[in-house]
Amino acid sequence: MKLENEDALDHYIICRKCHTLHEEIPIHDGTKACCSECGAVLYRYDGKLAEHGLALSISGFILFILANAFPLVKIEILGHEQFITIPKTFIGLFEGGFYLVGLICTFLIFVFPLMVFLSYSVLFALLHMKKKEKIIKELLILLSYIMPWSMSDIFFVSILVALIKLIGYAQIHIGVSFWALIGFVVLELYITKNLHIYELWMLKKRIFQRENNDRG
Amino acid sequence: MIEVDEKKLVRCPVCEAVNIDKGADTPCRRCGCTIYRHQKFTVQKSWAYLITAIIAYIPANLYPMLITKQFGSNEGSTILGGIVMLWEHGSYPIAMVIFFASIVIPVLKFLILIYLLVSVKYPLGKDKKINKHKMYFLTEAVGPWSMIDVFVVAILAALIHLANIQIIAGTAATAFALSVFFTLLAAHAFDERLIGGRI
Repeated sequence: MKLENEDALDHYIICRKCHTLHEEIPIHDGTKACCSECGAVLYRYDGKLAEHGLALSISGFILFILANAFPLVKIEILGHEQFITIPKTFIGLFEGGFYLVGLICTFLIFVFPLMVFLSYSVLFALLHMKKKEKIIKELLILLSYIMPWSMSDIFFVSILVALIKLIGYAQIHIGVSFWALIGFVVLELYITKNLHIYELWMLKKRIFQRENNDRG
Repeated sequence: MIEVDEKKLVRCPVCEAVNIDKGADTPCRRCGCTIYRHQKFTVQKSWAYLITAIIAYIPANLYPMLITKQFGSNEGSTILGGIVMLWEHGSYPIAMVIFFASIVIPVLKFLILIYLLVSVKYPLGKDKKINKHKMYFLTEAVGPWSMIDVFVVAILAALIHLANIQIIAGTAATAFALSVFFTLLAAHAFDERLIGGRI
């Protein structure tokens, strides 16, 4: 295989699932390219990626605040009422003396999801304004480190499991946060699973190459 | 013009850019992160995390996960005990979910990682058409789901906090959370280049 220089490697992509080497070809707006070996999506092309991403990450951020501020579920057992919010679940662990689990849970269901959405909002805003190439690069690196550790979707499934366990013992009232959390999880899944970090690096390259060409 | 062997191309684990493998401490040409830093210790690091996870998994199964305090009497239930209880009560889907999340996924992950780490040293399954990259991808994708049980315990402990009925998390919750945490670290520490036998 012959190459002009090392930067020409940008036109190649290795499938993240089965590690097959592919050459990147230009595709139409709104379509996707799949791996010829295993069928996994390699990349998509979206002409308005920065704007779409910005809208999605800001709405995700708002939903995250809603999901944390209001009660998730309220139960009634023998006339006693009790409700939980997301922060209450991990604060409860700290109060029970489980500092290690409490710390792990705090990071997995609160700190990392918050960081992911904050960084995405800043990232897409900067990409949209075509400014601060260095900060964009740092944010992209940060994101790929923390993304595997954000577990809101798993937390949501756990809530469902916990509620089903309680059916029959207690009356369950679903709170505002529950619906907000559903919205947040859907957005999180879309952003972290559907927008590959690879596409964002390509977008960054496209934007700043054009900028530099205009200036030069 | 430079001539590159296709087998020498690696993917940066951070930004997914295609890089030429130049041996120890290759910085990624796009994001600048070192592609697998501790070249000489990759296997050992992964082994160390994995063994820690397996050790932590033993108390996670022996000690109670949930302690129910009802009218002054304590009753603990382990992971397996909880699954059996759910099954007997007739909630089969939930019993299956918990069984998969807390037993099948961690054990499967241990086995796959052990297999991958052993096959680096010894030519296991070289002739068979097993795509080890796909196996690795699978462990990375399903791994976090074993946290379900820990979260369920946290939710129940926060929710059932009444005068005469209380649910408290047990010792196993700590052990299990640690076990999952260390398996995730082990999977992240594993150098994908070892699969192709390129080092």
